[in-house]
Amino acid sequence: MATRLKEVDAIMVGMGWTGSILARELTKAGLTVTGLERGEDLSPRENFGLPGIRDELRYSYRLELIQDPALETVTFRHRPSESALPMRRFGSFLPGNSVGGAANHWGGQHWRYLPSDHLTRSRIVGRYGANAIPDDMPIQDWAMTYDELEPYYDKFDKLCGVSGKAGNLRGERIEGGNIFEGPRSSEYPTPPLIMTESGLMFAKAAKDLGYHPFPQPASNASRPYVNSEGLTLGGCQYCGFCERNGCEANAKAGPQVCVLPVLRSEPKFSLRSRSWVSRLSYDKTAKKVTGVIFTDTRTGEEYEQPAGIVVLSAYVFGNISLLLNSGIGEPYDPVTQQGAVGKNYCYQLSRMGVTLFFEDKFFNPFMGSPGTQMVMDDFDGDNFDHSALGFLGGCKIQLGHADGRPISYRPVPPGTPRWGAKWKKETANWYQRAARITLSGSNYANRYNYIDLDPTYKDQLGRPLLRMTYNFVENDHKVADYCMRVALEIARAMKPTMMGPPALRQGDYDTVPYQSTHNTGGTIMGTDPKTSVVNRYLQAWAADNLFIMGASTFPQQPAYNPTGPVGALAYWSAEAIVTKYLKSPGPLVHA
Amino acid sequence: MQGWEVGALSLFIALPAIPGSAADVEHGKALYRTCVACHTERPDALGPSLKGVVGRKSAALDDFRYSNPMRRANLVWDEDNLRAYIQDPQAKVKGNRMPYGGLSDPKDIDDIIAYLKVLK
Repeated sequence: MATRLKEVDAIMVGMGWTGSILARELTKAGLTVTGLERGEDLSPRENFGLPGIRDELRYSYRLELIQDPALETVTFRHRPSESALPMRRFGSFLPGNSVGGAANHWGGQHWRYLPSDHLTRSRIVGRYGANAIPDDMPIQDWAMTYDELEPYYDKFDKLCGVSGKAGNLRGERIEGGNIFEGPRSSEYPTPPLIMTESGLMFAKAAKDLGYHPFPQPASNASRPYVNSEGLTLGGCQYCGFCERNGCEANAKAGPQVCVLPVLRSEPKFSLRSRSWVSRLSYDKTAKKVTGVIFTDTRTGEEYEQPAGIVVLSAYVFGNISLLLNSGIGEPYDPVTQQGAVGKNYCYQLSRMGVTLFFEDKFFNPFMGSPGTQMVMDDFDGDNFDHSALGFLGGCKIQLGHADGRPISYRPVPPGTPRWGAKWKKETANWYQRAARITLSGSNYANRYNYIDLDPTYKDQLGRPLLRMTYNFVENDHKVADYCMRVALEIARAMKPTMMGPPALRQGDYDTVPYQSTHNTGGTIMGTDPKTSVVNRYLQAWAADNLFIMGASTFPQQPAYNPTGPVGALAYWSAEAIVTKYLKSPGPLVHA
Repeated sequence: MQGWEVGALSLFIALPAIPGSAADVEHGKALYRTCVACHTERPDALGPSLKGVVGRKSAALDDFRYSNPMRRANLVWDEDNLRAYIQDPQAKVKGNRMPYGGLSDPKDIDDIIAYLKVLK
C-alpha cells in the first residue's frame, strides 16, 4: 500500500531541462512544486571537476552518466513482423539518468528549428502539391509557428548563454550567420567560439561553391556570461570533453549550471531524487490526473504523491511509458492508424560523413567543442527545391574538430589494418592531419515506426517495457545519398591528400554504434485529438491538468539537434500554465 | 589597508589608462568576471571563495575540497605567487584542477591582483 504524501500544486516527473525550467517558472508564480527524479542528485562541484571529468573510458565507454539499462530499457525490432528483444546496453542513443538529465552529458549544439520545420506538412503540400506526401508518411505541422515561439527560443538562448552569430536579425539577413534561420529578436548572447582551422577550411570551400557556411550555435558560452537567472557561466576552455561528460568550467549550459542553483534555494520547491514514477493516477471520466505513484529506488517503498498539475518532463521514453502504463490516451495501432500515443516516433540520420586526410596540416583535434564547427544549411529541410528529387527533408553538413579524444578518435586512411604495428604507425601519423565532414539528416515519420508496450519483457517495477519498432526507409536513404553528393563536392574542393570512403545511411538501422540521442515523437503535438496527444500548449487532450514536455511532442525530427526547441517549448508551456491555466483550469484548446 | 589605497588611487588615474601606470582595479574587476563562473560564495561553487585571498595560505578554506597538488603546494598567496599562478596555473602548481589556461598580459595580471586585494 503506497504511503500517501501531502498534496502539492505541481509535480515534475523528471528533473532535466524541462522539469527544471517548469519548476522554476511555476514556483515563481507561487505554486508549491515537487521535482521527482529517478536518478541520483549530482553537483558540478563534486561530479564535473577536473581531473576526473576528462575521462573518456569512464564516461564514453562505461557510460557513467547514462541510464542503466538493467533498471529500464526498451525492446527493439525493425519491423512489425519481428519479435522485439531488449537493448541490454545503450548504444545508438544514450538517455541521461540523474538530476540534470541528458543535459549533463549533451554536447551543446543549440538550434532553433527553421520556420518551415514548424510547418512541415503545409510547406510541402504548398510547394509540391497535395500528393507530394506519401500515404505512409504521417508528416504533421507543429501546433505553433516559429514566430509564435520566437520569444521563448530567445528566453532559452538567454538562459544558456548560447554562442553563435545571427544570420537573420529581425528580418535582416546577415552574411556569416545562418541566412536560412528564422528572424531572431536579438543577437546570440555570446559570440561564436574561436573556430578551428579545419572549420575555416570547410567554410572557405563551401563559400567558394556558393553555399552559406556559419559557425555552429552552441550552448558552450564563448566568454563569461550572466544568464537570465543571474547565474554566471564560465567561458569555454575548448577541452574537447563536452559530449558525454559534465563541464569542468561551467561553460556548457545545463540545468545544473543554469537553473538548479536558484531552484534549490527556492522554499516552494522540493527535490526528491531516486524516486521513480511508475504510473499516474488518472480519472478518465473527469479527464484529470490526480497525482503520481513512485518508488523510492533505495528502499523499494511506494508513495502516492497527489498534485493539482502533473508535468511529464522525463525523456521521450519515460513520457510515452507513463501514458501507456497509466491508460491515458489511445495507443497507436499501425494497422488501423488509429490512436496517437506512440505514433510518429522519429530519430535522426547520423553517422554519415567522409574523412579527409591532409599531409601538410596540423589540426590539434584535441582542442574544441561542438561549437568549433562550421555548418551549412543549404540542403536542410525546405531550404532547397525537392521537385523531382523523390524525397522530403535534408541534412545539415558540417566540419570542425570538437573532441579528438585518445580512445575513439583514431582516423586512419582506407586500407589500414584494424590493429598492430601498421595501425599504430598510421594512427600516430594521421591523428593531427585528418578532418571529417559530417551530416545530420531529418527523419520524417513513417506509419510503421512507432512505440508501444512490449508483450513479453518487463522492467524492475514489473511494468511492460516500451517496444520500439523502427527502421530507416527509402526516404531516409535518398536524403543521405543526395546530401552526401554535396558533402563530397565540398570535400574535393578542400583538396585533401586523400579521402576515406563516404559513410552512407545504408541497410537496416543498427542500435549498437552511437548515432544521436535525438529520439522524438510518441506524444506529439497537434490540433486534432485523434492524431495528436497534446495541444499547442503541450496540454494533454486526455487530461487538462497533465502537460507533456520535450522532444516526445515533436511530430517529426528536422535535421537539427532537438534541445533548443525543447527549452523554448518548456517556457512557452510554462507561460500558458501560469497566465491561462491557473486562471481558468480546463482545456486551453477546444478541439 | 593597502588595498583601499590602491583602489582610491585608481579612481583618479583609471581613465584614460596610462601605459605603465599603477594597477587598475576597475579593469581587474572586469577581468575577474572570468573567475566568478567558479569562484563565488555559493556553497556549491566549483572554486573556493577568493575573498581575502591575498596574504592567505594556499588550500586554507575548510569548506572547499582542494586538489592534492594544491594541498601540498604550501604557498602564501602573496603578490609574487599570485602573479605566477595567474600567469600559468599548471606551471606554478602542477596538477591543480582549476580549468583555466592563464593570463598572458602582465598588466592584466597586475589589475586582477589589485582587484583581489580589495575583494574582502
